[in-house]
Amino acid sequence: MRIRKVALLLSLVAVCLLLLTLQTRGYASRAGDLVALVTTPVHAGLARASRAALGVWTTYLDWKNVRAENRRLREENQRLRVEALRVTETDDENRRLRHLLALQERLPLATLSGEVIAREWGGWVRALTVNRGRGDRVARMTAVISPEGLVGRIVEVRAGAAIVQVLTDPASTVGAHVVRTRTPGIVEGDPRGTIRFKYMARDGASIQTGDLLVTSGQGGLFPRGIPIGRVRAIDDRGSALFHYAVLEPAVDFARVDEVLVVTGPTGQDLTAYFPTGG
Amino acid sequence: MRALLALTVFGGGVAHATVAPALRIAGVTPDLPLIVVVLLALRRGPEFGALAGFAAGLLQDAAGGGLIGVQALTKALIGFAIGAVGSRLSVGQPLVQVPGLVLLTIAEGLARFALLKLFRFPAPFGEVMLYVVLPQALYNGFLATLLVLALAWADALRARTP
Repeated sequence: MRIRKVALLLSLVAVCLLLLTLQTRGYASRAGDLVALVTTPVHAGLARASRAALGVWTTYLDWKNVRAENRRLREENQRLRVEALRVTETDDENRRLRHLLALQERLPLATLSGEVIAREWGGWVRALTVNRGRGDRVARMTAVISPEGLVGRIVEVRAGAAIVQVLTDPASTVGAHVVRTRTPGIVEGDPRGTIRFKYMARDGASIQTGDLLVTSGQGGLFPRGIPIGRVRAIDDRGSALFHYAVLEPAVDFARVDEVLVVTGPTGQDLTAYFPTGG
Repeated sequence: MRALLALTVFGGGVAHATVAPALRIAGVTPDLPLIVVVLLALRRGPEFGALAGFAAGLLQDAAGGGLIGVQALTKALIGFAIGAVGSRLSVGQPLVQVPGLVLLTIAEGLARFALLKLFRFPAPFGEVMLYVVLPQALYNGFLATLLVLALAWADALRARTP
């Protein structure tokens, strides 16, 4: 048994020495070829296995990196979207406030700017709450306007806030006339959340869709010439004494955030201070 | 036995070709086939150690492009020697395993240098020892330490599970 082990070792040593001798005697290529017969297929197999192992490892690392990168990019994307939203919102607010300030500066009226802090939008009542109250010397039944036109009137004044009845409130009525035809009438809110212009049939025969209506200034509550809305449809009731025109309000009451509360005398005609084109 | 030999030599070769380059520190790579040969020789005896050493060395020689047969010879001798005397040494002790592998790597390096000198190897002994053999021996010892720790941890884990 021991002899077998030694014989094996000696055989291996002999093979090695033979290979080395062959190489030093100038038969390097033959010895190399001889070994290559055995080792080349093994090396090819090793290379394939090595590439496969490295490939799996590299794929795993890539996958891990891509996953981490993906998570990071998602977070960054979310952060940037929030930031963009904030910027857009600030930009919008800035633009609205600039319009409001420009209106406040050009109007020949004493006004007070206010921010809408609540909305009551049920069918029974349509009202806004603004952050101006008794301390700001706001009075009941004063007009509330925005750069687009008339919003409504203050119906209740509290310590730090005031309730504005908007034009679409079913209890709201405003004296108005059609700018083009001077047809007078009353603008009323209705429970559907729209406003309509009630006028005498013989006066309103020539009213057309798209006509602009402004406050008439009669009654002294609202200054004259504040846009109310445009005629969207005419409800012809034949021989009835009064006809109705459905209006598209000049102000989007659901979106108005900043308003001006008129605090001074309301005798002036404001037609020139609001856009009437289109 | 042949299948196991082929498998281990092949496994050692794969590890040498894939893991060793990745484990390179300051240009020094561990001699993974030598570690495999030593482990096999300790478990399977001198015949297996010699054959595994010869096959692994031959593959390394062929891959290296130098004189074919040098590493085959030195690793076959190391495998045989360790297989023959391993049963008489307390090789289960980590204090023997780690320095043992360092010494074996140095011994293999010395043998390889001596053999190559016969064939007019030009590099001076001091430089070969300082920059090639000793760093590789230390690296092999470091890997052996990690292996010993991993095995101890695995044993402890196995003992804890009911």
